[in-house]
Amino acid sequence: MSRMKPASTFLARLPRTIEPYLYLTPAAAFIGLVFIYPIIWILQSSLWQNNPDGTKGFGFTNYRLIFEDPVFYQVVANNGKLLFAVPIMTLLALFLAIVLFERVRGWMIYRGIVFMPYILAVPVVGTTFVYLLGLNGILNTLLRGLGLNGLAHDWIGSADWVIPSIAAVIIYREMGFGVVLFLARLMSLDKEILEAAEIDGANWWQKHAYITLPQMSAVIEFFVIVELITMLSWVFAYVYTMTGGGPGFASTVMEFYIWKHAFAYRSPGIASALAVVLLGVTTVLIVLQLRLRSKSLEETL
Amino acid sequence: MSTRHRRENIIWVGMRQLILIVFSIVALYPIYYMFVTAFKTRDDWLHHQFGFPNPITFQNFTDALSRGNIPLWFQNSVVVTVASILITTIVSALAAYSIVRFRFTGRVLYFNSMIAFMVVPPAVLILPLFVFAVNVGLVNSLTGVIIIYSGLLIPFSVYLLVSFFRSLPTELFDAAAIDGCTNFDTLWRITLPLSTPAIVTLVVVNALFVWNELLIALVFLQSEELKTLMPGLTLFKGHFTLNEPLIMAGTLIATLPMILLYLFGQRLFVEGLTAGAVK
Amino acid sequence: MISKRFRLFSIALIMVMLLSACGSNAAAPANEKVDLTFWYWAESDAPGADAWMTETVEAYKAVNPNVAVNVVPQSTDTLISAFQAAATAKSGPDIASQWATGPVLGFVWQDALVPVSDYVSQDEMKNWLNVDENKYNGKYWGAPMYLLGIGVMYNKDLFTQVGVTAPTNGRWTWDEFTTACEKFKAAGITPFAIGDKNGYGGAWWFANVGIQGLDSTEDLRQAIIGNKPFTDEKYTGWYRLLDDMVKKGYFNEDVMSLDLDQGVRLFWEGKAAMAFGTDGMIKQASTDLGEGKVGVMKTPKWGTGKLADAGNATQSISFLITKWSKHPQEAADFLAFMHTPERLTSWYKHTGVIAADSRFDRTLVTSDVLKQMVEFETTGPQVWLENFLPGQIDGDADLTAGQTIFAQSGSPTDAANLWQSVAETWRNQHPDELKNWQDWKQ
Repeated sequence: MSRMKPASTFLARLPRTIEPYLYLTPAAAFIGLVFIYPIIWILQSSLWQNNPDGTKGFGFTNYRLIFEDPVFYQVVANNGKLLFAVPIMTLLALFLAIVLFERVRGWMIYRGIVFMPYILAVPVVGTTFVYLLGLNGILNTLLRGLGLNGLAHDWIGSADWVIPSIAAVIIYREMGFGVVLFLARLMSLDKEILEAAEIDGANWWQKHAYITLPQMSAVIEFFVIVELITMLSWVFAYVYTMTGGGPGFASTVMEFYIWKHAFAYRSPGIASALAVVLLGVTTVLIVLQLRLRSKSLEETL
Repeated sequence: MSTRHRRENIIWVGMRQLILIVFSIVALYPIYYMFVTAFKTRDDWLHHQFGFPNPITFQNFTDALSRGNIPLWFQNSVVVTVASILITTIVSALAAYSIVRFRFTGRVLYFNSMIAFMVVPPAVLILPLFVFAVNVGLVNSLTGVIIIYSGLLIPFSVYLLVSFFRSLPTELFDAAAIDGCTNFDTLWRITLPLSTPAIVTLVVVNALFVWNELLIALVFLQSEELKTLMPGLTLFKGHFTLNEPLIMAGTLIATLPMILLYLFGQRLFVEGLTAGAVK
Repeated sequence: MISKRFRLFSIALIMVMLLSACGSNAAAPANEKVDLTFWYWAESDAPGADAWMTETVEAYKAVNPNVAVNVVPQSTDTLISAFQAAATAKSGPDIASQWATGPVLGFVWQDALVPVSDYVSQDEMKNWLNVDENKYNGKYWGAPMYLLGIGVMYNKDLFTQVGVTAPTNGRWTWDEFTTACEKFKAAGITPFAIGDKNGYGGAWWFANVGIQGLDSTEDLRQAIIGNKPFTDEKYTGWYRLLDDMVKKGYFNEDVMSLDLDQGVRLFWEGKAAMAFGTDGMIKQASTDLGEGKVGVMKTPKWGTGKLADAGNATQSISFLITKWSKHPQEAADFLAFMHTPERLTSWYKHTGVIAADSRFDRTLVTSDVLKQMVEFETTGPQVWLENFLPGQIDGDADLTAGQTIFAQSGSPTDAANLWQSVAETWRNQHPDELKNWQDWKQ
């Protein structure tokens, strides 16, 4: 890089080795405070255990205790079940995006409507759906009206249905984001290839499976990652406003369980150990993800 | 085109409309329900949960406004959202620029750790952050949550901006350098203006995140006058369990500005959201 | 270029200033003025309590213009966790609300409170009722406001319609109760209304039905500290009765879609023959169904424990002075003001719940059904059993075990095992709290 006005600014005089770090510092400071310090803190705190005399002991007791706690496994399983919503949501969003893309009359209006739930606040959505999904709520009233009494479940009140119901509500709110994202990508595709395929007699399925989808892999991946993160790390507000973790522990998720131990049950050690486990799981996920896309990462950098 | 083909086409067109109408009803119904319920009396709601209010009452709105602090919570949410986004955007732009434009030791590590931090659940961080905030007196202060939100948003923002900056032609940067621009000028005068789509996306995604956040707000903002909308509404709901129309009026008051903003700025939301993400 | 950089710098500067301006929560400049923050919870127990508090704050301001009381209503779901966070932060309200005994003592042991009895004269306190619920180490840690019991309220019209007669001695045996339920069910009327989405329906069953197997709260403590198993018949055998009732369809079928209060509302609407109700809820029922249309009886009896005949009146919520409050004396003065005879009368007018004070004029209670409740509440020993559980066992065992049965996602044996395992988890995770419970002489 040439320096035609070398003395004009302070930054220009900085050695090249220092300058990048200068730009990084503010972000690093936030990251240090909001991520690194707390992570070190929980790693440490998870190793301190309460003694009967009020002192603290050092060891892996907290981890042993959470692995001995039968509820813990149920909670982990609940998070796992929620992950199944991601492929469903992605496929639905893809399908809708493709339908909209095919120049359906009024597609802009439909797009606006389908996206609308995404701007609603989670507690608003949660509160409203509790009424709609009640045993005598609109959904069941509708089903019974159609003579489908067998399908009218206690959506939020039964242990079997509560997770699928929460997943459905999450899909309701988040799907619009996917539709809009996918549609935007579709519209940026080269139309000639699609037209050529149509002339060659490719059917709807072939057209999209072999031409559209491959070109959308990056944006689909982006959406899937965002939603996987949501399911592991951002479902607290849904659970909190819809069920409070019940019935029993049937809808208690890790975030909720950590919050309970940290703030209602005064067990910082247990909450920290749970947090470390959750952190471990998300780290594994992200490492896998980085491996999978290591090639594209190299491209990125 | 053969007639058979055409007939199939017509059926498909009809089916598509049908599918879209069904999805639209599903998307709109909860909003409609909130709206209708808010105008019902308690008694009316108990006996006719569905259907139109009869009689129509505005009492719920006056009650919601007088018995809750919804306007104040709304204001707090706006302050927190705007401040967090300003900080995040500036700080992330600096970091992203550095990652894209420089070759320095620890660069890959820095970027990879950003991706890793993206998935760290806030629930993991909340206890230490709370203890820290207690020690420095940031519990029950909007500043405290603004700092936390900004920090939480940085990894994703850096990630998105890095991808976007990288897509800008390198010739531009080189030309700028030849013109004698410092790196900072290049970022400020060339990179950022060219990245408007990505920044709009970032602002929309991050704003929605901060606006909706419950866990941190619930723990950190305890006094009534400092609550943001989400914990405020949750409290409001817990307090009026037996007055569903009042709860719906409260949520409607809280939602209406967002809906209006959306109706008038749909392009900003929909296209802004995707402009920077789809590349 | 430099100017642009300055512009950025100044934006950052303004932002920092903005932040520090909007975040300030520092104490007001010191003058005579005293601000008290009161985290208040009572409305759920006693509808009308919020309105009474607004009036009380105004009245207090008239006498003490320099004291401003800022009342912050609390929500049932976060009553404990919000104050827990405050106790960890050692900053928060001057006056807090917690349910008596267990929850209050939890905060005493955390050193979050000062004894109310250190700031209120003995002369005043001797009039307060049920203060023993928060007695520890010879001091009283909470101020009561009202006395609340729970009875089974019943709809007299529906009883007549189906031909069921209320017990003459004020109490049914379990068989008489289930026989009546069967009759209502056969007539297409919901026998017993309840809601358990938030877990409190099950908790009320524990406190009213579960208690009947025990001889004393010491019995319960023995199981909590691990000397006896919760799986023992006397502790959890009653879940079979509940399970049986659920299976036979004696409850409204949407129990799990409704919070406790929403379930009780079905009774107010005349959709169910019976329901648990506090004094306040009974008053509401009399308003909705008509004066004289509501009767009340004690919870049907199945158990043979000494507590099977105890009443369940409690001060429920207790008002506490926090350790970090800068004005504990002013806080105590306000609590004492709440007990002035004029305020006590007004309390009753607003809520229909009797005040926990010997100066309260009981002749104000004119309705027969509420008089009956007062009699239940003031004769014999009184125990609200849920208050004798550590928070974690209450939240993870009491509330969830009830939901397991109501939602039919587990058997009574599962419910019993859940108590046992949650208690064990609690003991393992909290050896320090366990020690307090072991040392606590009730």
